[in-house]
Amino acid sequence: MLAGDMLKRNARYFLLILVLCVFSSCFQIIEEINVANNGSGTVNLTVNLSASKTKVASLMLLDSVNGYKVPGKQKIQQEMEEVVSYLKNSPGISNVKKTLDFENYIATVSFAFKNISNINNVSQNVLKKMKIKAINNSSFSFNPENGVFQRRYIHTKEALVEYNKLKPEVKNVFKEASYTSIYRFEKTVATSSNPSAKVSKTKKAVMLNAGIMGLINGKTNISNQITLVK
Amino acid sequence: MNYYFKSAIAGSFLLSTLAVNAQDLSRKIPADALAVATVKGGNLTQLMSVSEFNQSFPGKKILEALAKDYKADFQGMEDFGFNLSSDFYYYNQTNDSVSYNCFLMPVKDAAKIDLFFTKRGKQFTLKDQVRSYFNIDSTEIVHWNGEMLLAVLPTAKAAYFNRPEVRERLGLSKQEEIGLSLSKESAESDYPLMTDSVAVQVAGEGNQKISMGIEDDATVQEPVKKKKSVPAKNRSKKSKLKGKKTAVKNYKKKPVKRRLETLKADPVAAEEMEVSTAVEATEAFATDSSMVPVDTAYSESSASDEGISPFFQDRRLKTGILAKWTAKMSDDFFAGKNQGSILSNPDFTKSVDHKAEATIWISGVEQLSSAYLPLDYFKGVNFMGGYGTANAKLFLEEQSIKMSSAITFNEDMGSVMRKVHKRKLNKKFLKYVNEDQMIGYMAYAMDTKAYLQEYPKLVSKIYGSVYADEIGMATDLFSLLLDEEAIGKVIKGDGMFVFNGLSQKEVSYKSYDYNEENFETKEVMKTKKETLPDFLMMISTEDTRLIDKLIAYGVKKELVKNNNSYYEISIPKSPMAFYFTIKDGVIFLSSNAQEMQQIVNNTFNTKVSAKHKKALLGNNYAAYFSPKKLVGKIPAEELGGLAKVEKTNKTLSSLGDIYIRSFPMTGNTFSAEISMDIPAGQKNALKYLFSITEDLQK
Repeated sequence: MLAGDMLKRNARYFLLILVLCVFSSCFQIIEEINVANNGSGTVNLTVNLSASKTKVASLMLLDSVNGYKVPGKQKIQQEMEEVVSYLKNSPGISNVKKTLDFENYIATVSFAFKNISNINNVSQNVLKKMKIKAINNSSFSFNPENGVFQRRYIHTKEALVEYNKLKPEVKNVFKEASYTSIYRFEKTVATSSNPSAKVSKTKKAVMLNAGIMGLINGKTNISNQITLVK
Repeated sequence: MNYYFKSAIAGSFLLSTLAVNAQDLSRKIPADALAVATVKGGNLTQLMSVSEFNQSFPGKKILEALAKDYKADFQGMEDFGFNLSSDFYYYNQTNDSVSYNCFLMPVKDAAKIDLFFTKRGKQFTLKDQVRSYFNIDSTEIVHWNGEMLLAVLPTAKAAYFNRPEVRERLGLSKQEEIGLSLSKESAESDYPLMTDSVAVQVAGEGNQKISMGIEDDATVQEPVKKKKSVPAKNRSKKSKLKGKKTAVKNYKKKPVKRRLETLKADPVAAEEMEVSTAVEATEAFATDSSMVPVDTAYSESSASDEGISPFFQDRRLKTGILAKWTAKMSDDFFAGKNQGSILSNPDFTKSVDHKAEATIWISGVEQLSSAYLPLDYFKGVNFMGGYGTANAKLFLEEQSIKMSSAITFNEDMGSVMRKVHKRKLNKKFLKYVNEDQMIGYMAYAMDTKAYLQEYPKLVSKIYGSVYADEIGMATDLFSLLLDEEAIGKVIKGDGMFVFNGLSQKEVSYKSYDYNEENFETKEVMKTKKETLPDFLMMISTEDTRLIDKLIAYGVKKELVKNNNSYYEISIPKSPMAFYFTIKDGVIFLSSNAQEMQQIVNNTFNTKVSAKHKKALLGNNYAAYFSPKKLVGKIPAEELGGLAKVEKTNKTLSSLGDIYIRSFPMTGNTFSAEISMDIPAGQKNALKYLFSITEDLQK
């Protein structure tokens, strides 16, 4: 009897085990912000799951995995539309565009802002819409007068609490995931306060590369104060 | 030559009879024992001498640990005074009110055991050559003489002590009172809230001193010769003081702050707690902490004192009753007043295997589970119904480690099992096994039709007593909806999974690079390796119509590709695929296209030894795994780092081949066995196990 039950269960989990254990998984989040001298600019957000596309594709064949509902193509498209329409209606935000590549599982959202403060509320709400409990407790400011660009970031314990609730298989997904932020300016950068951040050869861009795990457990700080040359 | 042969036989015969007769304590085990575990010291010392053990890594560790804990100087295992070449037993004896966990050990030198206790500062009494030791509340009783040692740990049966008539007879408080005081987590409670080991920590030095360590339960201990109890109150001040000291010490040892929050939240409750704690502590520890053995219960002691929570009164009473029973039980044991020996149980004697190093025998799984599981909660649903006697044996042999187990069912369940296990593995499977390639396999054979027909009956047996109507309807519906026979034809019930290793395929993916100039992002293609198990799965089928339809549907929806002689299901977004076909009543599923081609073309290179053939065809369940064959086949990427690869390979190569199999049912008995070959160069299983533990520590 027991053997019979075991076999039935085995058959059902056969594909799951293959998918969850065999294929590697990691993803990339890239946040690019271009700031003009007058404080306006553009944002480009990219989520790239291409490196784990085999796994994602296999998962999407299943209805749910370990109690998590796997969203289908339509559901993802619909949610992206919601994000876009929300952005279009947000003050100071214009030229909203999105791309969804289901071949490689890459999603991008880009838009223009009048003032960088416009994006502070937006990013929080977008994350909320995407049902991601904010790991991003940050705000941006830029003062065209003195040329100081600031990204404030405070790590919240909530992220770690939420993470710890996940099952080990799901936790693994985050282990190799990376986060990249790039800020580009029209003027050259005089100072960048975050020691992990790199300044480009033209001195007009600052990049910070970090593992998502570091952000979840609070070991990585992505705050930065960038002062531009006057 | 012949001479040597004869004397070898004579010698071994002599040895085995000696081993049987030498100080066999099994005759002392009561006939009503629910479970018996045996460790054959004789067999173990033959595999490894005591001096070898003392010098071994685990041996040294054990001795070191003991020397550290007990500040005593033990040179070797023999210093404990046990007869290491005889049998050691554990048994469980249970009745409606108490469950005794007993350890019965053969003694070689009682003086050494005396010394062991004395060095630990544990006092014992001596009467008629029998030494007796009781722990502080007599929840641990040890008796020993020149022949044997019996340690008993009793556990009270809550269900018994919760019965109203029992509570009344034993003078326990009414159930509702306890329920009330325990359920009210808040302040209104008349009694302070305390459950098991509660150490109350109230602000202030003074209070801390009287915090209690209920762990070493508060008791009025009586000297063994005095039959009459002296209430704690009447004792000398000196002893009270000592008691307090103990309390403080106990508190330090085991502080439990569980109730602290409740206390903080409610000062009134805290105050009440304080008062009663003070009383309790004084009462509780009004004994000299240097132990005097108990004979009578503390049921006669100050239970009726005012101001003590009924919960603690009950605890004290219960522990006292338990101690009394246990003491009587142990005394009777040594006085030889036991009624009948387990040796009169043919089922037990049948389970005795002199070759096994360790054996566990259970008189009845159903009885044992009802002795331990809180059956009240299951509302009469009998999950273990139909399970009878069971045993498990460990064999440490020269070339293998083997563990066998057997369970006997009642006639109803046995007939179900026999029907389900009637099927044998499809012989055709063997044609597609190549021993040189494979790393392991798993095969099973059962009758799907019988399973589907019998399963509802089994369910109704388990739940029938409680939900007879509902289960009856559900099982009828089950049979109505399923055509057991038709399903049994599609999937007959036997199958085999052959694991051939791991293979890697390159997968490309998109990523982003940034130029150094201005960190402009650029899309780039990168590649990485994905690892997939290499396997072949075979399942017997008779009626392929349903599967054919499924395939046709898959082909139509372009999920399945028809490669003329076999089909391909590609794994999305990867160059990998699974291949399958149906041939000669067997469904084949493989991760290897080449192998599939060979199966279809009848060019598969078969190689299967008699050993595997026998295991596969002779049993309902057979599995094999050769860790050694996996060495070097796990890609470094999967393990992360060369060091890990090396360690994994080292562990894998130190393991022998592993076999699991179940045997055909004999009567109503189902048995199975797991074994592992010992790598060459190892003298025997025991020494091999020791060497592994040493390696793992490194």
